[in-house]
Amino acid sequence: MEIIRNVARHKLRSFLTISGIVIGVLALTTMGAMAENFNALLNGGVAYFGQNVQVGPPDGQSAALLPLSKIDEIKAVDGVAAAFPSYGFQAKPGAPPSFSFGVPDSIVAGDPAENDWAGLKTTFASGHQIDAGSSGQVVLGSSISKEFGKKVGDSIDLPIRPVDARPDFVNHSFTVVGILNVTRTAPDNFAYINTADGQMLLKDSLPIAIRDQVDVSKITQSVDVYAKPGTSLAALDSIANRINSQVTGVKATKPSETVNAFKSGGAIFTAITTAAALLALIIGGLSVVNTMFMAVAERVREIGLKKAVGATTYNVMSEFLLEATLIGLVGGLIGYGIGAAITIIVNGTTPPGQSTLFLLTPALTIFAIGFATLLGAVAGVLPAWRAARLDPVIALRNE
Amino acid sequence: MQGIRLEGLTKHYKRGGEIIRALDGVTLDIEPGEFIAVVGRSGSGKTTMLDLLGLLLKPTAGKLFIDDVDTAQLGDRQRAQMRARKVGFVFQEYNLLSGLNVLENVMLPLRYVKNGKDGKQHAIELIDRVGLSDRLKHRPAELSGGQAQRVAIARSMVNRPSIILLDEPTGAVDTETAQQLVDLLKRLNREEHVTLVLVTHDTDIAGQATRQIRLKDGKVLTDEKVGELVPVA
Repeated sequence: MEIIRNVARHKLRSFLTISGIVIGVLALTTMGAMAENFNALLNGGVAYFGQNVQVGPPDGQSAALLPLSKIDEIKAVDGVAAAFPSYGFQAKPGAPPSFSFGVPDSIVAGDPAENDWAGLKTTFASGHQIDAGSSGQVVLGSSISKEFGKKVGDSIDLPIRPVDARPDFVNHSFTVVGILNVTRTAPDNFAYINTADGQMLLKDSLPIAIRDQVDVSKITQSVDVYAKPGTSLAALDSIANRINSQVTGVKATKPSETVNAFKSGGAIFTAITTAAALLALIIGGLSVVNTMFMAVAERVREIGLKKAVGATTYNVMSEFLLEATLIGLVGGLIGYGIGAAITIIVNGTTPPGQSTLFLLTPALTIFAIGFATLLGAVAGVLPAWRAARLDPVIALRNE
Repeated sequence: MQGIRLEGLTKHYKRGGEIIRALDGVTLDIEPGEFIAVVGRSGSGKTTMLDLLGLLLKPTAGKLFIDDVDTAQLGDRQRAQMRARKVGFVFQEYNLLSGLNVLENVMLPLRYVKNGKDGKQHAIELIDRVGLSDRLKHRPAELSGGQAQRVAIARSMVNRPSIILLDEPTGAVDTETAQQLVDLLKRLNREEHVTLVLVTHDTDIAGQATRQIRLKDGKVLTDEKVGELVPVA
């Protein structure tokens, strides 16, 4: 109680000191939540690309087209357990470019059985997986379903017709059979369709000059290659090397290269945002140092008295450290509270279909409040030490 | 032996190149329950002697025994514990903590001893005995000088010390209040058999002690018994 009273004794000074911490933690919370959101997105990429080998056309080939027969050749490579054709299209062709932390809305076509192999598992909020052998069915990610206000049983034309669509623009009606749960990564913006439907969209996307000359049922854009579950990244890299050496006309990308690219991007973003926030917080911490030194200077006689009535160096130091820690804790709680409120409000006002900007995680909560508290404690060490080392004889007669 | 023994107790300071002999080879025996007035001019060594007795200072030479314990053998933590358990302090300026009320001020020393929390009832009794039971929740700013000093006296006794050191306890109050405080001290000395060592410039107050020690230049000039020692129960 006395510690709380001591903090409350100088209301304006305590308010200003705590405000310094509040601003720092507020910055740490919002910047950290932004970094957490970005990292969640990247972690999804790491989870997905870290579990398979992406095989596409070889370097120099302009069109992303591969014969489906390559899948059998790939399956013959040592270590390959499964291989699936994969197709990807813009869901909103011709949409004006916009900056977003998320991935653009996309149509992904493939074999629904691939989900059993994928490192990033998706689950259904409603509905079910596309029926095997069906056509005209679509499963929507959480963001894209909200963006277009679709639920199971609704129909949606894909790709979405642009406002200034050319006369020869073609799209097709799909029935929504499932809505995925939020993943905070790419699948949220994906519309999943069957392989045959993907081949249909592939044909629509081909130049008119060759559209009728190509049998799209024998073509894929890329191949997702899987080893048996639990295969290490290094082993997947070896499989990519073997595919490149044994299968002609394809290019297998080492998953470690993709994963490292994701990780380094995330690390840089986290470093920039967190460093900016920590800088603000450390400046706040310096105000705690100043306040505690002032508190010690004002309470020299009190310290002398406490020593006279039996307080040890440890007792005096603990009291001042607790006071500084309390300032850090209060600042941390208020700063985190305001920061959390801002992130919730901003996320809540994000238009449907756009990726939210912030992600509050338990780790960030513990870090923000814990760091502020620790900062208060550390900031209090020097003033508390000075208090504890005061000579009681001098302190008691201090004017 | 219970009580306090000073053997050639010496405290020298260096100030610039000069050595100040604040206390210079003082040897004394203080029996339990004595009421001692230490008198002398400014700079005679009164306060230094009080600080040494209260273990706030370490002597340059000589020995100090409290209840047969050679205090030179104690570490800082043990000295703090002995200060908490055996010594009470009363200062001229009261030194009450403004953020605490009367009861909390009196209970302050309990924080620094084991099982100190059990002393709340004793603190309330002491406040009652110094006549302030209706001021338990008052802050120091709401008390007169005499009341504040009575709170300080209650605080000095809360850990049931064997000695209370009083540094000019009546220096900041008027004559009438000073006499009331001395009467209170005499009553506590009589009832609790606690040893009182009181530093004062006031000869009237010094005259009410059972023993007067006059210091000059850090040495004992005179040491006289002037009254009856209260028998230990």
